[in-house]
Amino acid sequence: MAKTFLIDTSRCTACRGCQIACKEWNELPANDTRQWGSHQNPPDLNAYNYKLVRFNERRDGDTVRWNFFPDQCRHCIDPPCKHEADAYVEGAVIQDPETGAVLFTEKTRQLSEEACEAVREACPYNIPRRHPVTGALVKCTMCHERITRGMLPACVKACPTGAMNFGEREEMLALAEKRLAAVKAEFPNAMLADPDSVSVIYLLTDDPFNYHQNAVAGVTRDLDRQQFLARLTAPLRRSARAAMQG
Amino acid sequence: MTNHWIDLKNADAFLIMGSNAAEHHPISFKWVLNAKERGAVVIHVDPKFSRTSARSNFHVPLRSGTDIAFLGGMIKYILDNEKYFKDYVVAYTNASFLVNKDFGFQDGLFTGFDPQTRSYDKKTWSFQLDDNGVPKRDESLQDPNCVFQLLKKHYARYTPDKVSTITGVSEENLLKVWEAYSATGTGTKAGTVMYALGWTQHSVGVQNIRSACMIQLLLGNIGIPGGGVNALRGEPNVQGSTDHALLYHILPGYMATPTAAWQTLADYQKANTPVSKDPKSANWWQNKPKYMVSLLKAWFGDKATADNDFCYGLLPKLEAGVDYSYMYLFDRMYHDQVRGGFIFGLNPMNTLANTHKARAAMDHLDWVVTSELHHTETTDNWRRPGVDPKTVKTEYFLLPSAHRIEKEGTISNSGRWTLWHHKAIEPAGEAKNFGFMLIGLANKLRAKYLQEGGALPEAVTWQDWPQHYDAEEWCKRINGFFLADTKVGDKTYKKGQLVPSFAALKDDGTTSSLNWLYTGSFTEEEGNKTKRRDPKQTPMQEKIGLFPNWSWCWPVNRRIIYNRASVDPTGKPWNPDKPLIAWENGKWVGDVPDGPWPPLANEGGKYPFIMHTHGFSQLFGPGRVDGPFPEHYEPVETPVTSHPFSSQLSNPMYKFVSGDLDKLAKPGDPAYPIVLTTYSLTEHWCGGGETRNVPCLLEAEPQLYVEMSEELAREKGIKNGDGVIVESIRGKVEAIAMVTVRIRPFAVQGKTVHLVGMPFCFGWTTPKCGDSTNRLTPSVADPNTTIYELKACLVDVKKTDQLTEIAR
Amino acid sequence: MEVNRRQFIKVTGAGVACLSLTQLGVDLTPVQAYTSSLKIEGAKEVFSICPFCSVSCHIISHVKDGKLVSTEGDPDYPINEGALCAKGASMLSMTRNEHRLTKPLYRAPGSTQWEEKSWQWTLDQIADRVKKVRDKDLILKNDKGQAVNRLESMFFIGTSHADNEECAIAHQLARSLGIVHLDHQART
Repeated sequence: MAKTFLIDTSRCTACRGCQIACKEWNELPANDTRQWGSHQNPPDLNAYNYKLVRFNERRDGDTVRWNFFPDQCRHCIDPPCKHEADAYVEGAVIQDPETGAVLFTEKTRQLSEEACEAVREACPYNIPRRHPVTGALVKCTMCHERITRGMLPACVKACPTGAMNFGEREEMLALAEKRLAAVKAEFPNAMLADPDSVSVIYLLTDDPFNYHQNAVAGVTRDLDRQQFLARLTAPLRRSARAAMQG
Repeated sequence: MTNHWIDLKNADAFLIMGSNAAEHHPISFKWVLNAKERGAVVIHVDPKFSRTSARSNFHVPLRSGTDIAFLGGMIKYILDNEKYFKDYVVAYTNASFLVNKDFGFQDGLFTGFDPQTRSYDKKTWSFQLDDNGVPKRDESLQDPNCVFQLLKKHYARYTPDKVSTITGVSEENLLKVWEAYSATGTGTKAGTVMYALGWTQHSVGVQNIRSACMIQLLLGNIGIPGGGVNALRGEPNVQGSTDHALLYHILPGYMATPTAAWQTLADYQKANTPVSKDPKSANWWQNKPKYMVSLLKAWFGDKATADNDFCYGLLPKLEAGVDYSYMYLFDRMYHDQVRGGFIFGLNPMNTLANTHKARAAMDHLDWVVTSELHHTETTDNWRRPGVDPKTVKTEYFLLPSAHRIEKEGTISNSGRWTLWHHKAIEPAGEAKNFGFMLIGLANKLRAKYLQEGGALPEAVTWQDWPQHYDAEEWCKRINGFFLADTKVGDKTYKKGQLVPSFAALKDDGTTSSLNWLYTGSFTEEEGNKTKRRDPKQTPMQEKIGLFPNWSWCWPVNRRIIYNRASVDPTGKPWNPDKPLIAWENGKWVGDVPDGPWPPLANEGGKYPFIMHTHGFSQLFGPGRVDGPFPEHYEPVETPVTSHPFSSQLSNPMYKFVSGDLDKLAKPGDPAYPIVLTTYSLTEHWCGGGETRNVPCLLEAEPQLYVEMSEELAREKGIKNGDGVIVESIRGKVEAIAMVTVRIRPFAVQGKTVHLVGMPFCFGWTTPKCGDSTNRLTPSVADPNTTIYELKACLVDVKKTDQLTEIAR
Repeated sequence: MEVNRRQFIKVTGAGVACLSLTQLGVDLTPVQAYTSSLKIEGAKEVFSICPFCSVSCHIISHVKDGKLVSTEGDPDYPINEGALCAKGASMLSMTRNEHRLTKPLYRAPGSTQWEEKSWQWTLDQIADRVKKVRDKDLILKNDKGQAVNRLESMFFIGTSHADNEECAIAHQLARSLGIVHLDHQART
């Protein structure tokens, strides 16, 4: 019963309800930020922001394109972070076979700084961050304690416009295709970002790089994008084995 | 709002202008996008490309302060191309009314202007009446003195080329908006206007909104689902606080504050109760005497009797023509004419125009009582930067207030829904709700006056105050009681029971109500209706999302006002797909109609605009002080020295105060060539006194910025993220440059005009986040409302490496 | 209504699936340990309203032992249907933050600091100031000899943050004192 998010950026108004709802639900402290010439703040994901709305603007002929990208862990179907972490500390990263949630446990504290960096570099979306005080590796939890009790993730619950959606994978894939077909009328190049590989699927109406450099699976230390995708599209075999062994 | 939030989903076209709805009313966009998904066109006209623009079908940048030129051009387009909904215009607007033959307009001024007093004698702004005193009409709309023809004549000057050269909007973009929006003038389509402070905060603020009303009336968009002129409103309970009149010029329920000329209650009632001789006009305000006497009974209880004019004589009387609003208050304070006062839940040291002066003015007080959740620039003005507290003689009292989540009571949203909120937790520490503070003070004052006597003690001691504050008890007082056994229809109410509807209020002292609009919100039959949480709807109501059983809304639970205009004179909905009300089998179904009478064409039928004396909506609006038709005038501080519509540069009646701190840049001032517009942002509220103290919100928007175009940044050698000084003739403000493609230069009268935009939510009590943007803005205001012109003034910007107000 | 609000529960059927996987020999202990509790479990739900932009989004406060543990949108309220923007989503921090004022404060003329005071003292002092100004400055007649009963040297400004009931009281109190400088956010 894998869960999936559909993040339809064509409906996002960057109200940041999701960013704050995430912070509030997880009771994460605030960073001491500065205005740096952008509305995107904090400037990047960090140990206290598992969710961050990224702002990217450009002029397109006579019109302006202002793209909003509510960034978060993609909960990869076959998560490279887990493979990487397993090499250091078994059980530091686990995957819930029920929901598909990729979870960073307390055991991530046992990972060295270098190991954390390796896990982060293994992530094709540059998501994991090391907690400056506890040393734990942290990121979006899919609001696991909520979704296993029938509640929506905090970010999805807060979203006013239907940009954030959550549900059964098949349901979300169907919704993604339906929405994609609808927005293509206005944006012929609209696309779904890595839909076969991840549990958090973005619907993009513009070139992914006009949202964020890691909007789609990016270059990692060992793999380029093609290699990464090839690896991700492999059957669920590895993660199933991992779960059995766990 | 004439309509309500959910009703946005019924629109076929949106004109979002003077509003950045997605950022300032984010949840409204749930309903905008709902409509867009079904094919509605969403148009955003605004100086800046914002998060609203990003989700609109198109954004059209407009130079701040030129909305009337833009809208006047649209009126001309609608008339020239016959895009108006003629049946509606003839039957329901005053288009057919014949205006006084001496009325005229020449070179930017209407007849009757006296340049000495800067005011109009409105004698000629009147209608021709027949022998019965009813306005004469020409339903063919051909008479040269009829409103329709005068309207045509007035806006004939607003050609696309002239509108373009003054607004900075290309002719192509003008026509794109005008055409898309005016396509709703068919009777079966709906267009909605969403506006907010982007329209009100101008020296022509009221006329901005009048222009939109006129467009909506021409297109038949008032009173229908998905239509209306919708003031989104900026603050948490600003609908309710306006209804209950925390304003000098009105009493609760939109009745005029007494003036010195009205010495007796009879004087007041005579001057304020309109008379119509037309049997088809409901002229609802003819009931005003009932509401006024019920208000006096609610205030003074048993002390108010017919013999003593219900204590009317004790009320303060304004001096006619004297303005007691903020702008004048702080001017008088600065000039030592004010000793002390109360500032509750408000941060004027950040939100008023020209805050340098406002901050200095407060030092002239003997004492001030503030009430807040946190320290703000107002509560702590005595220790503001650059001032030695030892030199500030003012006593400051600061009362810690309860958060909404820590108290119970009602608020009214922009759609007039009155909603109960429950108390979740105890207030922080010793914080208290405002009710506790005010009732506590009222009782102490009454005790003191009873004990010691003093000036006009009855005005204080005769008030009907309870011992303690209880929100629900005040809900009942607002609704009102019968003060004698009374029969309403076939039902008898006992003395002390709640009045079921404002139709049952009386002018003989046998009823009370603190606000007639709210009568019916708390009844014997259904209890406190503001607590209702019932989503039940009839299929007809469900189709348009009316939710009549969820809470209650004023008036009389009518969800869309002027709804009699949604049907033709026989009671048939103009748009059969989205009926709001309909006359079926001798009764109305759907929403609560604007009055119980049958449709207009039936015997006993009434005109739909029941709050207007003659029953018609006003394309010609003689009620405003600065003209019956909106006319383009430049902002008081303008980058141009002339404009193509007349030689009257600015609103001839704009309000201002003068003094050493009230300087104004001259038109086209070379020292201040850039237009500044100010705004809020999603993550902070108003002056920021609350939200800057919420860590996660401050994290998301931490410091003051100034948004500017790449072109201006290049000219000034400024890079994104640089520190800059923004300077007007009144002061300097530090900010961080946000260089963006979302702002672009305007081509105005053949020259390039730059515009920059800044939020006003940052202040010095939050360390190193920047300080009041309003140190830049001018003390000039709309002549009808005295709302400051905060949306357009003149500045210059330059790069700086020396920031003291903002940490890097 | 309760049913409506709970309709979203159908998004998962975790319990049943768990059983089958466990029967298959999958050890779910680490996952179960990961999310053993939900902070709002057993909390009282109280309906409130976001104190900002006048859309009136409804918020459910989760209260345990008199303390606020979480807030989120009320899914039954037909306007926001559970959604909240950045400000609306921040109610927990807003209520709890360390900057909240918790005691009446007084700053004497020329003083450089606040002093904490009792409510009793504070209201007494304020009533004293109000009465002195009113008794001294109340204008009973204007230049034309008309009765005007107004007090121009004292003001009351605020607030759209107040409830309707509180606004009604504020207006009544201001007029009873003769105050004419009465204004608030509706004019900005």
